[in-house]
Amino acid sequence: MLRTGLFLIFLLLSSVFCLEDSTEEFEEHLSIKSLKDGRVAFSFTFKTLLRDAIPRDPRTLAFDNDDSQHYTLFPLTLGQILRQYAITELHLTLNAGKWNYDAWGYPDEPDVGVGAELRAWMAGDSISSIDDRWQGVRNALAGLFCASLGSLDEQRTTSPRSTFPPEGALPDWGLPHELRHASHASEHVCTENLTPFLKLLPCKSRSGLAMLLNPHRIFDADWHGIGLHVIWRPEGVEVRLSVQLVSDPLRVSGQKKQDWSFSSLFDRKVEKACPIAKSSRVSVELPSSGVYRVYPEPPQVKDGIAHYDLKNANEVWDIGTMWPTDFEYPLSKPNPALVPFSVRRNLLGSTQDRGQLSIVLTNNEQDVLQLLYLETMPWIIQFYLHTIRVHADDALRDDLISNISYILPIPHARPATFETVLTLPGQSTITFTMDVAKAFLRYTEHPPDAQRGWDLPPAIFTPLRQSSHNSTNLGKRVYSPSLLVDLATPDFSMPYNVIIFTCSVVAFIFGSVFNVLTRKFIVVRLEPQKRSESSPSKNLDSDESGKPDTSKSNVH
Amino acid sequence: MLADDAACNERNSFAGSVYANPGRHLDLYGENIEVDYRGYEVTVENFLRLLTGRLPPSFPRSKRLLTDSSSNIFIYLTGHGGNEFLKFQDNEEVSAHDIADAFHQMYEGGRYNEIFFMVDTCQANSMYSKFYSPGILATGSSVVGENSYSHENDYDIGVAVIDSYTHYVLEYMEKVNKTSRLTMADLFTSYDVPKIGSHPGVRSDLFDRPLGPEHPMNEYGRGRGWTVEGGGEWVGREMEAEKRGRGLREALITDFFGGVVEVDVDGEGTDSPSY
Repeated sequence: MLRTGLFLIFLLLSSVFCLEDSTEEFEEHLSIKSLKDGRVAFSFTFKTLLRDAIPRDPRTLAFDNDDSQHYTLFPLTLGQILRQYAITELHLTLNAGKWNYDAWGYPDEPDVGVGAELRAWMAGDSISSIDDRWQGVRNALAGLFCASLGSLDEQRTTSPRSTFPPEGALPDWGLPHELRHASHASEHVCTENLTPFLKLLPCKSRSGLAMLLNPHRIFDADWHGIGLHVIWRPEGVEVRLSVQLVSDPLRVSGQKKQDWSFSSLFDRKVEKACPIAKSSRVSVELPSSGVYRVYPEPPQVKDGIAHYDLKNANEVWDIGTMWPTDFEYPLSKPNPALVPFSVRRNLLGSTQDRGQLSIVLTNNEQDVLQLLYLETMPWIIQFYLHTIRVHADDALRDDLISNISYILPIPHARPATFETVLTLPGQSTITFTMDVAKAFLRYTEHPPDAQRGWDLPPAIFTPLRQSSHNSTNLGKRVYSPSLLVDLATPDFSMPYNVIIFTCSVVAFIFGSVFNVLTRKFIVVRLEPQKRSESSPSKNLDSDESGKPDTSKSNVH
Repeated sequence: MLADDAACNERNSFAGSVYANPGRHLDLYGENIEVDYRGYEVTVENFLRLLTGRLPPSFPRSKRLLTDSSSNIFIYLTGHGGNEFLKFQDNEEVSAHDIADAFHQMYEGGRYNEIFFMVDTCQANSMYSKFYSPGILATGSSVVGENSYSHENDYDIGVAVIDSYTHYVLEYMEKVNKTSRLTMADLFTSYDVPKIGSHPGVRSDLFDRPLGPEHPMNEYGRGRGWTVEGGGEWVGREMEAEKRGRGLREALITDFFGGVVEVDVDGEGTDSPSY
């Protein structure tokens, strides 16, 4: 009796200690920044770390005897997808809106290209196996996130060489790792994408910072996006889920003050801490100018950032900032500039068969800046590389462009990958122009709303920095807005017209020829006493005057 | 399958919401919705492939129907349509013959136990006129030659947020919960023609269970506003009494919308689970 009692107590204690075994950790963090134009940028980061885990070696895919996966915090659906296709690193973002770098600075998560963007690092010994797994992971994520990622097929997939280095580490299996990148600028993001996203979190949206994720307010924000990042770090596999949004308290509240709080912007408060989160923090970047009050009183302020720890205290959190005076919209651009360069991309031209791609880059700093410019253009826009002209202040400068790497587009099969290094002299503006030709699509390739046009994916600019070891480091990426190209559309009613017209003509011809061949014309004299001698055939054509033909003619 | 992104469209002032009535009392989109086919994926080909199961292996599980011979399926179609067709994406049409053939393929493949087919378009009753497989109960919003109308306009959103027939069916269904014992007959007899603005119809000749107790369905089509000859378009009216005579279980609304499992307390009847 005593021994069974002790044994049970021992079991209970050992199970408690097992729960303390930290093979999986979950951390959440919210970073808030008030922007100069009155808006507020929020960046939610939910990190789940699976300690000592390694991505699956693709050579084991043939054996189909993967270890069974038992997770407590790590999302199982995502783990199954990652292991089934042996993915080392994965980044998926779904964004809507235009990130205004000039007014808002850099985002916390750099992937702010509009629409859907998916990129993955996979190891493999053959291109076909990598492409098959790329198709598999696209469709699996399309099913998981309720997004049309299945349409990111080979017509949108590229492998840029330099712009996207792996964010984490790549395991050394002796196999080369390859990058696959695809984007779809016209993809929408809505509540159906947020629902499975929240299901990947350990606490879902019931407690912790995820309680604030109210879809009615997130998708009303001026810019919003959700992202999934899977990285292998030396500690293990990290899954980072991020939600970023830029809200406008002036529009939401309808008042002239830029006051904001959780309840005014999200219509929610953090009422319960997530019990399994290792840390749950909120960082509010304190504006550098102006008189304001941040409430509740921050327990710790370091480097101009107020830190709140939501984990230990068990209270309802409604963090906010109040200003005593009305908001005055800044009339000039921020000085010093928030990003070292500004970019404007346009498609010039008024015809539907050719145009000109124009990039205008302004260097806001005194030093020379080198940019890596990536263009993953669908094959519907074909570049003429010999027409590239780079002008700095109206003077043609061939020396400002170098290291062009170009993978040709294959019509109906592959987009163009164009990477080049542009040099911007200090405090100057350069203009890059290149003539392009617009394709004439096949009848079945047009989308249902063909007259709207096609969205072109954003161009990506990465500053290059010479580090002390004479190797280049990449700075923070900048995404240009997407473009809308108007292609020539056919008259979609023509197939119907052709069918109707041809069938009518064939029917007329056939009918006439058939009648001529089979109809026999007989002259019949109809006189009253000789009516009984008339032809018994029903196909009587009467040729006299006055007497109506009483028999029904069955010739058309 | 949602062809248009109405909830998160930039022109929708109420982001993430699709309301059921002009007063904005009921949000149909909610916060937990999952949409499997959206945007350009909503095509006639994908719809018929989804029904018949002829999908390429790359399609994930959430985009497959995954039904078997004991599944009850509810199919609701709405949009612009006409005599025996429904428009997809303003570009192509699915015809009543196509859907009838797809349902028969499903029947041959044992992919459903019963189907409840509801359609809200102009001349909607023609959409179910071509079915020929057993186990299908169908209802539509308007007879051939008649339009279906939308409900009131919401002047803040700028469009009419719901169609008339769907609005009144939704209003009725909001009173139904998982434990209700209301039958299909109760749903069909709640059709109010002057309010809906068109004459709905029912087709039950392929459905082998009675729609409900005798009294409600006898009154079907006899109320105010039913001017269709014979009292409401109901194909299969004559078979109703005979089905009741055979003692089959009546068709409950919860058969198709999720409900309570029949609990056999006294060991009498052999009722099968109703979901």
